Amino acid sequence: MSSGWDVLVVDDEPVVCDAIRLVLEHEGLRVAVARDGETAVRHPALEDCRVVFCDLMLPGQPGLEVLAHIRRRRPQLPIVAITGYPTAENTDRSRAAGATTFLAKPFDTTELLELTRRVLSGTAAGEEEQP
Amino acid sequence: MRIGWLTIVAVAAVTALVLGVMSGLILRAHSAALLAQLTRSADQLSETISRSTYVDMLENRRDALHREISTIGAQPGIEKVRLFNATGTIMFSSDPAEIGRSVDQRGEACYACHEADQPLQRLTMRERSRIYRGAGGHRVLGMIRPISNDASCWSAACHAHARQDAVLGVLDVNLSMADADRQVARDQRRLGLLLVLAIATSSLLLWWLGDRLIWRPVAALIAGTRRVAEGDLHTTIPARARHELGDLARAFNDMTRRLGEAQRQLTQADKLASIGRLAAGVAHELNNPLTGVLTYASFLEKRARGDPDVQRDLEIIVRETKRCREIVRGLLDFSRQTPPRRQPADLNEVVRHGVAIVMNQFAIDRVELKLALAADLPPVPADANRIQQVVVNLLVNAADAVGERGGTIQLATRTATVPARGHAAIRQATCPRGCDLLDPAVRIGGWSSIRVIRRVGDRDTIVHLDPVYGRARHRLSDGAGTGLPALYLCPLCRSRLDDPGRRCAECGRPTFAVSAGAAGPIEWCTRRDCHWTRWEAIEKAGPQRFAELQIEDTGRGIPRQHLDRLFEPFFTTKGGRGSGLGLAVTWRIVESHEGTIDVDSEPGRGTRFTVRLPYAVGPSAPVPPAAMPAPVPAGARGAP
Repeated sequence: MSSGWDVLVVDDEPVVCDAIRLVLEHEGLRVAVARDGETAVRHPALEDCRVVFCDLMLPGQPGLEVLAHIRRRRPQLPIVAITGYPTAENTDRSRAAGATTFLAKPFDTTELLELTRRVLSGTAAGEEEQP
Repeated sequence: MRIGWLTIVAVAAVTALVLGVMSGLILRAHSAALLAQLTRSADQLSETISRSTYVDMLENRRDALHREISTIGAQPGIEKVRLFNATGTIMFSSDPAEIGRSVDQRGEACYACHEADQPLQRLTMRERSRIYRGAGGHRVLGMIRPISNDASCWSAACHAHARQDAVLGVLDVNLSMADADRQVARDQRRLGLLLVLAIATSSLLLWWLGDRLIWRPVAALIAGTRRVAEGDLHTTIPARARHELGDLARAFNDMTRRLGEAQRQLTQADKLASIGRLAAGVAHELNNPLTGVLTYASFLEKRARGDPDVQRDLEIIVRETKRCREIVRGLLDFSRQTPPRRQPADLNEVVRHGVAIVMNQFAIDRVELKLALAADLPPVPADANRIQQVVVNLLVNAADAVGERGGTIQLATRTATVPARGHAAIRQATCPRGCDLLDPAVRIGGWSSIRVIRRVGDRDTIVHLDPVYGRARHRLSDGAGTGLPALYLCPLCRSRLDDPGRRCAECGRPTFAVSAGAAGPIEWCTRRDCHWTRWEAIEKAGPQRFAELQIEDTGRGIPRQHLDRLFEPFFTTKGGRGSGLGLAVTWRIVESHEGTIDVDSEPGRGTRFTVRLPYAVGPSAPVPPAAMPAPVPAGARGAP
């Protein structure tokens, strides 16, 4: 049974969730939002969505744990780690936890769309994304 | 002073004991000698009397005997002379009152002989003498002499004595001991006085020496320790003495200085860490709203294709938001010090982009900007975004300095060639074993100094070498041994830095060297007042070429006392309008490009910032000229 979601956005900041939803829904994708890790790992969208955007700084359960949990549930799912500042240290750690690529805040519409297209077409795996 | 008084009392007690015992022994020996002398005199006198009265006695001339005894008895020093018969009756005496009186043969004077009922005839001089108190209270030495029977006595005409009598009488000579006792008493007084003098002198000497050598330095140490305990790490105590307390004082000063350095470093590290955390926190907080602004604005911009006016306005929002993004990243870069991504860039192009950002505001503020961009500027390896931030920061700064009354800002670019000597900074310094000699706590002209130990004889001095090649603003903790041969050591592992095999080209003394890693060794002369130095690699590389950016304003200028702190994070003269981060970020960016930034300013006339970016960069590239240090520069004018 399909949950009906294409994208799951995990971020505690409403404006970031809304911005991603605005841009991606305009492209015809169905976007679900979770404000924290606990909600995210229980979210039905996790069953069959095509991509997850996950902030690394979340209240409660740390972003890296959420990311690792999602990776265990969906080994093939593209996961985009959203980070305020991609340092070598946190990109390495999130990659180890299962992140496919990165999106640095703040991003504009073009950057978000291009990244989404790449991960959905499966060309983003293993590629470093640092605008 | 408690130890002092204890020492003095102890020394005084020992002195008193030793000198007292000595004086006692001397006095005893002295009075014994006097007594012996007196005893001999008494014996001689009694011998003389006995011989001179012999004939009178034999011939029984009693008047003559009386006269003689009276005359002798009247001599000074002679107490009395008397003659006893065998039964103890005084027959003759210089004291006529005594004549005829009998004495008990068991009495004090007679005891020696008459102890055993049968009187002894042969006694030693000592046994025949006695000491008693005379009538005047003074001591008297009595000496008896038995008058033995003799053939002429029993055969004399008077027939007074029988032949069988062994002893006919006793001559008793008494000498006054007053003189001798006075002499002893005088000696005693003199020795006592000497004793008091010796104790007083030794105590005074001890007090003076102790005060000069121990108590004052110790008091200074105690006071210094208290000041340090109260947090004053600039405390130094006098350390001129050459003995152990001087060493202690020097060690104390060195310790305090190091504590101060450590504290400054800690404070600095703490400050930087706080700045880093704050900057990172602020930047992260800004990222979320910026994401909203940027995404919505760019989304709207895409949808506003049909309306060029709206689209242009949205473009500006997107562009400026992206600039905010770069500033936020710059802040994060500043707090994290990531290396710049350098690519050959056209500095003029970077400048134009930067100018475009500030131009509108300049028009509003009536600031006139004059550009003088060199036409033939070769591309310089640089992170264009960050250098653009430098340009914008410096231009905004200049406009702020010009203020509301308007003014002129000149921006020029050119290629500059700068000699290494007097400019090149030593950014790496290690000993042969690899210890880091750079000391960020002691900066000279902004850069971390190079800390080494100078050893003259057995005295070690810390020397902070000027880290700008060819300049000699070294700092020494004391001025000892200017002309003396000196060794140079690593302050951490004590390995030798000087090489007796290499000689100074100017004065012929040995040289010492530190290693600047890939940039080879840097040599100095070991003679303190010789300023010879040589950095082979840098000299060989010759003068370095830089892309130079100069921004000069006609603003209010920067007071001299602010120049030193200009690039310090959160240092601002703009009050609430400035973040205090602009120039700190600028410095970091230029520094990360291995470039330099100098500032010249004259209050009331204007300020000139000169940024130099090296054309040759990388680990093998020569070290660029002295620049402003981060984050606490001193001497903002750079190399003098």
